[in-house]
Amino acid sequence: MLTANQLGGDARNDGARAARPLRIALMSCAHTHAAGYAGLLDAREDVDLVVADPDGFGDVRARRVVGSYQEAWDYYAEGPDAIVVTSANAHHRDLVLEAARRGVHVLCEKPLATTVADAESMVAACQEAGVVLMTAFPVHFSPQVAVLRDAVHGGTLGTVMGLTGTNNGMLPGGRDWFTDVDLSGGGALVDHTVHIAQILDSLLGEPETVHAVTNRILYADRAGEGAETGGLVTFTYPDGTITTIDCSWSQPADAPTWGGLRLQALGTGGQLEIDAFAERVEGFGQWHPYGADLDALLLDAFVGAVRAGKSAEPTGEVGLRTVRVVAAAQESVRTGQAVALTSV
Amino acid sequence: MTDQPLTDAADTPARAALPDPAPPLRVGVIGTGGISRAHAPGWLGTGAELHAFSLEGASAFAEEFGAILHDTLEELLEAVDAVDVCTPTPSHPALVHAALDAGKDVVCEKPLALTEQECQGMIERAREVGRHLFPAHVVRFFPQYAAARRALDSGDLGQLGVLRFERTGAMPTQPWFADESQSGGIVMDQMIHDIDQAVWHAGAVSSVYARQHATEGAGEIRTAHVVLTHVGGAISHCRGLWGPAGTQFRYTFSLAGDRGRLDYDSARNTGVSWDEVASAAQASGDGFLPDISGMPSPYALEIREFTDVLRGRAPAARVAAEDGAYAVRVSRAAMESLATGRRIAC
Repeated sequence: MLTANQLGGDARNDGARAARPLRIALMSCAHTHAAGYAGLLDAREDVDLVVADPDGFGDVRARRVVGSYQEAWDYYAEGPDAIVVTSANAHHRDLVLEAARRGVHVLCEKPLATTVADAESMVAACQEAGVVLMTAFPVHFSPQVAVLRDAVHGGTLGTVMGLTGTNNGMLPGGRDWFTDVDLSGGGALVDHTVHIAQILDSLLGEPETVHAVTNRILYADRAGEGAETGGLVTFTYPDGTITTIDCSWSQPADAPTWGGLRLQALGTGGQLEIDAFAERVEGFGQWHPYGADLDALLLDAFVGAVRAGKSAEPTGEVGLRTVRVVAAAQESVRTGQAVALTSV
Repeated sequence: MTDQPLTDAADTPARAALPDPAPPLRVGVIGTGGISRAHAPGWLGTGAELHAFSLEGASAFAEEFGAILHDTLEELLEAVDAVDVCTPTPSHPALVHAALDAGKDVVCEKPLALTEQECQGMIERAREVGRHLFPAHVVRFFPQYAAARRALDSGDLGQLGVLRFERTGAMPTQPWFADESQSGGIVMDQMIHDIDQAVWHAGAVSSVYARQHATEGAGEIRTAHVVLTHVGGAISHCRGLWGPAGTQFRYTFSLAGDRGRLDYDSARNTGVSWDEVASAAQASGDGFLPDISGMPSPYALEIREFTDVLRGRAPAARVAAEDGAYAVRVSRAAMESLATGRRIAC
């Protein structure tokens, strides 16, 4: 494994000695976020990118695209410094474990894994190998979410009593595996709960109980068998705080944008609402976002973490905690009752 | 403008002065607290003759609305055709029974009663004596909710999948609201509006899960989350807040169907917004009841619709006593869930 020094971490502030580019392999084009990450990484002068497209999707643009994982691992003589995992959810584990085995740093798309056991093994392997494992929660870098974190931690809202979060989107298009539960681990409950769960984790820590209801009414004609498209997930915390996440794919297919993410916090000191995608110019049927490029901020944090050889938020650990929350939500759907997080 | 016929906005004294061919309906308001003052202009708007009886505040009410005051319930019941029960919830059943026993039609503020059993007793009695019993679920008469209902009826949204409702107000200052044995708490008193909406739009409920969080002591605030699973498959989330003093009344909903979604937020879509400077000098609402300035009064629409039924001009109102009883049933299940932490079959 390369150390921070070898990667030129110390040289970053030294204009005379630029660090050599990081060698990053983007593993799989299965996730719809792969194209965005590839575009951003490929444009960076401090990164050499190779993209593996083993499924042959052919729609992710980069200067170097190869047809298999093996070719991506072997592309650089010394191997990649880091990988970005954008495969179908169920394949995250094998890629991350292989990276750990090779001493390669990892940014893994959310959800970290489709089972708690997989996520635990991934976190443990990376920890043992001493490599960075981060989970791709771009909304963590939203300026609006930062305002919420500051308000909750700084006491502006007094004692926080409850939160409601909505992460509604269209049914993911262009990649059928999102609603194939064998590959995705589930539907909207898996795809959309974790973003807000990660934010809540940063605000309140882990919940005590998880309750969830789901259905399959919206986009029923397009969702794979067994993939829920609507869901309401309610958490309680040891101090009594209550939160609910609406993770439904309830954005109509003809809406001018994919969806959005909002949070409302209620405290003894008043209310705060944030809309992570509020910054836009809009018109009839039009939607032109101009806010912070959250993917770019995420990749910045990852590149920085790799150069420093030290993980940064959002870590693999929070990825694991959100996987556990989703597993509890799925258990609640099965049992029809709230589930203690410790039982999962 | 076709959505809002001009005649709907005519709850004005001018309208009230129009001659009604029938003699005025004599209506007895029982209990002259906050909600009676929301109802009274509606009654006056229909040309009703107002009577009042209350343990407290009756003379101020009588003076403000020109009501004829009565010293006892019996005296009031002898003088009126219909009553409007606006007292704290625990007294509803006895007063409704007294009015029905005296052969009066009844409007009763929501919740009809604290238990479904009491509701059923009232409905049964109304049937026996052949009188009407209207639960004042005023939210069904708010034009926003009525517009959503029309959209749903048109089929434009397809089948509803996920519904969300929020209701926000200041913690009530009348102490009986905070006492769960008196009001049923935030779920039974405030959120019952949204529970009724969820049922109105998505049908009967198969199970309920509820959580609530309250601070202790002075300056108490309370929030609750209720998740409903409907028999037809839809799921609903209701979020209530009795917030700190100064909290503006606000209500929102989001109705997602497989062919479209509707969103409403009372803090927007009003057509009126004050900047920070101006709003310091502008009172808008007291935080306990919604600010209905700028819209046809939902209370007046409700009273007019009930009156039309009483006058034989309409076969039924959009909300029946059975709907009120069902909302109480679901709210009770939510309260049981609060107490046990379990999802409760309904």
